[in-house]
Amino acid sequence: MAMRNVKGTHYLQIDHRVQNILKIKGVEILPAKLSWEKYNWARKYFQRKPKGGYFIWVKRQIAFPLLTCISITSKKIHQDLQNLLIIERNLNINLNGTCNSQKRNLNCRHKTWGKIILKEGSMLKYEHIHSWGNKDIVEPNYEFFLEKNSQLNYNYKNLFTPKKLKIQTMFHLLEKAAANIKIAVDCKRTQAEIVDTLNLKEKDASGQIQLRLVGRKNSKVSARSQILAKAPGRGHLDCQGLLVDKSSIISLEPKLICKNKLAQLTHEASIGKIEEQQLNYLRQRGLSEEEAINLIVTGFLK
Amino acid sequence: MLLEIKNLKVKGNNKEILKEINLQIKKGETQALLGPNASGKSTLAQVILGNPKYKVTQGKIFFGGKEITKLLPEKRAKRGIALSWQNPPQIKGVKFSELLKKISKEKIKGEKLGVDSSLLEREVNLDFSGGEKKISELSQILALEPKLVIFDEIDSGLDIKRLEKVAKIIKKELVAKDVSILLITHSGEILRFLKPAVTNIMVGGKIICKQKDYKKVLRTIKKYGYEKCKGHALFTN
Repeated sequence: MAMRNVKGTHYLQIDHRVQNILKIKGVEILPAKLSWEKYNWARKYFQRKPKGGYFIWVKRQIAFPLLTCISITSKKIHQDLQNLLIIERNLNINLNGTCNSQKRNLNCRHKTWGKIILKEGSMLKYEHIHSWGNKDIVEPNYEFFLEKNSQLNYNYKNLFTPKKLKIQTMFHLLEKAAANIKIAVDCKRTQAEIVDTLNLKEKDASGQIQLRLVGRKNSKVSARSQILAKAPGRGHLDCQGLLVDKSSIISLEPKLICKNKLAQLTHEASIGKIEEQQLNYLRQRGLSEEEAINLIVTGFLK
Repeated sequence: MLLEIKNLKVKGNNKEILKEINLQIKKGETQALLGPNASGKSTLAQVILGNPKYKVTQGKIFFGGKEITKLLPEKRAKRGIALSWQNPPQIKGVKFSELLKKISKEKIKGEKLGVDSSLLEREVNLDFSGGEKKISELSQILALEPKLVIFDEIDSGLDIKRLEKVAKIIKKELVAKDVSILLITHSGEILRFLKPAVTNIMVGGKIICKQKDYKKVLRTIKKYGYEKCKGHALFTN
């Protein structure tokens, strides 16, 4: 059954309706508001009684990626979502999550408050793709809890940005937990505020944040990325901005806070522009100026 | 005439770099452009390809009988002019195979171009050795299926064996298919493999002479330097 459904989306929500939930052995998928009723213990993970969003509890190993899709197809929809993902001990899970609006002019709002729990020894590879219309307002707020020896590979990509984007992400790492975080945002006519914090709470926790931000036409991008070490762990921040259009502004604020003398924290940050030489090289190979810029930006965001 | 440059004057950073350049290349003809460092050879190549960094203040460029002096670089490429760069820039995050696919007129295989499959998987020009850069440039040129190719110092940094290999590909894939070639070279190494019909000498932004016998030119340069070529030329500009 699960194998037959592997190509389908396991949780599909359109506007406010849950369109589809596929059954998988060992994984419980529910609309978040039902999980609130069903599991008292789950309530502590929610901010309040959920109106929308998913509850996914992975109890057994599965051999295929979990697919979730939360989409907007109608005008002026305001999604207010709470997502909860729990991965039990020693499981190795891939999740591909998409949030999007189907048209460019829907004028919608997507607000998500999510919690991702990686139990001891578990691994999660999470590909998080956003794609929005140019009148939308999008505010994802995610918190990841990595228990002892767990590992997270989080890859957030937003190549079609909304009018306003506010991303807040926190990663809490316990003993020997490891996180590799990549956030790539290609801003066009967007006001973006990106705040991410890596919190190394216990011994030998380690993580790195790679931030890649592009400022195209009429964009104002501000990013505050920080690592906080309370125990002897290792952390690295790598923040890079690419300013493509002179009508745009990028500001990057990497911050390291070390509360333990044995912790090793490093950072690098730079904001650059597309070199004329690169552009000219690609144009001489037959690409238009726009195609050349797109290729360079795609490479930068990888 | 495939390429015709008439009385071309060019400025870069408000300084005159090229002075009254005249150059004609026929279809299927191979010519060479020799000159000391900073004589304007690479600038001429960039101007023929339409690099907006340089301003044409006088003269015209014709390609296939049509004026292209103000044409965008990508349009010149589409018309069939290609330049193999001496120092091509890095394009981070973009695989060489992706670039080849994007610029190719038709689906071509890397092996056909003699490109190592591991090179295809690497990012464009990132940490490429001198030899790898030449192979990368040459394979992109072939993918474009041009009518005129300008090779900017294709022989620099190549040992004799690699140079012979590169020359062989140029002969088979370009010369034999009637593609016109302009070889820009400082050392002149490549000339004995590709035997240009005309060798132009450029000094101080001017083509000071044209010579049919490239061997004679190389001998003169070796003995007397570039400046003396004028006196020993068969015909001058």
